Amino acid sequence: MQQLVSVTLSALLAAGLYATMAYGLAVIYGVMRIINLAHAGFMMLGAYVTFTLFSRFSLDPFIGLVVVGPLFFFFGVVLYRAVGKSMARSGATPSIESLLLLFGVWLVLQNLAYVIWTGDTQSILTSYTMKSIEIFGVHVGVPSVFVFLASAASLIFLNVLLKRTYLGKAIRAVTQNRDAALLSGVDADRISATAFGLGTAFAGIAGGMLSTLMAFTPDFGRSFLLKAFCIIVLGGMESVTGVALGALVLAVLENVLGAYTPVPTSLQDAVSFALLFVALVAFPQGLPALFARFERKAIR
Amino acid sequence: MLEVTGIDAFYGKVQALWDVTFRVAKGEIVTIIGANGAGKSTTLKTISGLLKPRKGQIVFEGADVTGLAPNRLVELGIVLIPEARQLWPAMSVLENLEMGAYARTARPARAQTLQSVFAMFPLLKQRVRQRAGTLSGGEQQMCAIGRGLMARPRLLLLDEPALGLAPLLVREVFESLKSIREQGVTIVLVEQNVRHALALADRAFVLETGRVTLSGQASDLAHDPRIRDGYLGLAAV
Repeated sequence: MQQLVSVTLSALLAAGLYATMAYGLAVIYGVMRIINLAHAGFMMLGAYVTFTLFSRFSLDPFIGLVVVGPLFFFFGVVLYRAVGKSMARSGATPSIESLLLLFGVWLVLQNLAYVIWTGDTQSILTSYTMKSIEIFGVHVGVPSVFVFLASAASLIFLNVLLKRTYLGKAIRAVTQNRDAALLSGVDADRISATAFGLGTAFAGIAGGMLSTLMAFTPDFGRSFLLKAFCIIVLGGMESVTGVALGALVLAVLENVLGAYTPVPTSLQDAVSFALLFVALVAFPQGLPALFARFERKAIR
Repeated sequence: MLEVTGIDAFYGKVQALWDVTFRVAKGEIVTIIGANGAGKSTTLKTISGLLKPRKGQIVFEGADVTGLAPNRLVELGIVLIPEARQLWPAMSVLENLEMGAYARTARPARAQTLQSVFAMFPLLKQRVRQRAGTLSGGEQQMCAIGRGLMARPRLLLLDEPALGLAPLLVREVFESLKSIREQGVTIVLVEQNVRHALALADRAFVLETGRVTLSGQASDLAHDPRIRDGYLGLAAV
């Protein structure tokens, strides 16, 4: 029983972080139909910026997120303005040019990080890094709880933005039917810039949160990019709920396998790979489409 | 109101329109007749800015609008209601309508326009909370027309508004076009149902493989043997 609570709790805590990380990828794909390979680079950069704010200005990493979010949004918009034209959407599938370009951006970021912060492993040690609290009789690290709360806050912010504001509705409109959005007066270029900024901000925030949980180097982020891919394939691009659901599925699977089977933690990434593979074969439209199918069957 | 002069348009390397020229006067309904693939939808896409013409000029109310982005054209009052409805399926009917008034020229009057759309399509008012993707075909078409009207168009371009609708609904859609015109909106209509379209329109022109081959008063064209044999015969089957 104790173990069940513990597994459920750690799955839930991980899911929040995963959702934040994956949503950054989803919003960019949804609006621009490009796969942001630089996402891992933005996460890595988010970790280092949070680290620098902490070590140089002794800013608590979670308060640092409030700086990282807007900063990365701005960075994303500037990057889009600089190279966005080459990422312009040509058709239904991502263009090779955009993939190469963003892969290049990732490499540049990685090497910049080597120059600025060197290749040494860094980590953030706060007064509460090693502390834990007890929830339902299970000891949980304080940083994990903070990460979950920060994730929840950013996802709620996002949901309100998408559901309540003209800007958010325009993002959803472009995602669901781009031509219809253009014909209703939506400035596609502005929305693409905003979406790229949002995606970058979410990557930066996710990176900042990860930096409080584990050590990192300039190569940091690759395995999390993979997890994010897996989540958006599962959850679809359209809704925050879908992404959150995909994140939960992955987190539960990882934690259950870790706790109840002899699968070593080092094989955790293989889990997301396998899940990605199964998802693509079994329900290529993602979980929401699967549920919609059941719903329709139930109505009939 | 609208002067289209010598337009050439391409999809990639394939030319779809050759030297298309026509005018639309204020308050008119003009219909474009042609077989599948003749370039009717392409013509509308070009006027609305989705497709940039490679040659030629489009003048709207005296200003050259050739090559402007769709969102700029919407602000000027050119609104296309595209083929096959193209709603945002995961948004509610209300959100679809509200987003129709996204252009800053339409936003201030949103609440008022919404009321007039509900007056025209009372059914939509009952469906406001429903996701647009779950509406029936006829309801989706009403929602699409309603969304177009939310942008407060001065020139409304309609691409096959009656496609796939039951005869009763087709009549309803055409009735709504009449009342839209009475509100002072100029209309360019592409419609498979040539008989209906000619009955409604003031003027018409025929597109064949991307070229204008015939134009004139709708009532004259309805009796023109070339139209009768080429298009009305088919439509009657």
